[in-house]
Amino acid sequence: MNFELYGDDSTGVIKLDPRTKMVIFLSCAITSINMYNDQYMAGYIAVLCLILALCGKRIMALKAFAAFAVLFFLRYCIQMQGTGTGVAISLVSVLLTVFIFMFPMVVSLLLLIQTTRIGQFLAAFQAMHLPAAAVIPVAVLFRFIPTVADERAGINKAMAFRGIEMTMGNVVRHPAQSIEHLLVPLLFSSVDVMEELAAASEARGLSTNLVRTSYEEVRLRPLDYVVMAAFIAFAVYMLTFSVTGLTG
Amino acid sequence: MAKMEMGSEAQEVTSTGASEVVKNDKKLRTRDLIYAGAFGAIYLVVMLAIVMGCSAIPILYLMAPLFVGIVCGTIYEMCVLKVRKFGAALILGVLFALVACGSNIIGLVLAIVFALIAELIIKAGNYKSKKMYLASFVAFNLNMACPYTMLQFARDEFLARTVEFYGQAHADALSAVAPDWILWAIMGLAILGGIIGAFVASKLIAKHFAAAGIV
Repeated sequence: MNFELYGDDSTGVIKLDPRTKMVIFLSCAITSINMYNDQYMAGYIAVLCLILALCGKRIMALKAFAAFAVLFFLRYCIQMQGTGTGVAISLVSVLLTVFIFMFPMVVSLLLLIQTTRIGQFLAAFQAMHLPAAAVIPVAVLFRFIPTVADERAGINKAMAFRGIEMTMGNVVRHPAQSIEHLLVPLLFSSVDVMEELAAASEARGLSTNLVRTSYEEVRLRPLDYVVMAAFIAFAVYMLTFSVTGLTG
Repeated sequence: MAKMEMGSEAQEVTSTGASEVVKNDKKLRTRDLIYAGAFGAIYLVVMLAIVMGCSAIPILYLMAPLFVGIVCGTIYEMCVLKVRKFGAALILGVLFALVACGSNIIGLVLAIVFALIAELIIKAGNYKSKKMYLASFVAFNLNMACPYTMLQFARDEFLARTVEFYGQAHADALSAVAPDWILWAIMGLAILGGIIGAFVASKLIAKHFAAAGIV
């Protein structure tokens, strides 16, 4: 999974409001936990990938769907083969299930992060008159997840230069040292990025209490309402479906 | 409720724009909100990585609060020590609750309550006492037990879900290691994780971050 730092939807066929993407993300968080039906899951992920493609990230959507198809097929093979539950087989099947179950959330997170500029995000939520203490941490959270992944990759390379490997064996043998090797560089470099972000936010006037203007035009279009309604309805449907125990 | 109040405070305070010279530095500046959000991202990524790694094996999955506490303690302490005001632990706790317990209302509320308790412990130390900062993580880490409240309040449903997801064998293994008192055991593990995590944090911060002048 490689995140780009700054989202972009300029090549998209449709443009969704950041609030719509947020609703999709929350709906996925609820739905994926309550979804047991394989056909529903496949359909749901197909729809998510389609939205991602329409918003401009065609290749990424294709990759995501291909990855899902491979996982799904592997799990299907394991289930169909039916040779009981050896430790290795059940471990692989559990891991596959975890990945499949995380998939809607990953795709909707990609949609939110990769096709939204942080300016759009702030403008959209400030238009709802939410307090800064609620908006800024969430915006920074989403902006920062790619940074953490990025720093982690850099740290891995740096550790490789020094002949340190973050393998399961090493973690078990030297737990304290592993934590130090992971956390210290991660926190040091993240703190640097935070300082830059904070300086940038002051340059952009985020710390004033005046009303900010934005180049971004934020408006909920009819399409936004349709998409939001569909995802909310589906989440509610899945929730009642699973509560009544009619899984099948 | 508390979040709303904080918002208005932050807006009032930061009108000067200059970061260091603010009249009343008891209140959160934009800079502090950025720290809270960013440390929240690090905390959640590390936490999810650990939980994902653990979730394949039932007994490890139930022990996840211990591991998360040990590793994430340092991240939490960095966050609250960097901000040193009311709100940092609460924002971190709310972000955690939204991501980890989004579909479990009891867990969600409990997680936020634990974050509030952590805030109160820090406040008891007047935002200065290092011991209170460290102690607050023990309360904060109890939020790792919150996603498991499902196990207690809806045990049958939880196990039914596990059958659907992971298969009968996995559910049997889970139910064998998850008797009725399991939630208390998990909370115990979370507290233990919090204590060890606070020790690790104190060591690492003294060794690296305090020396570099970051906190």
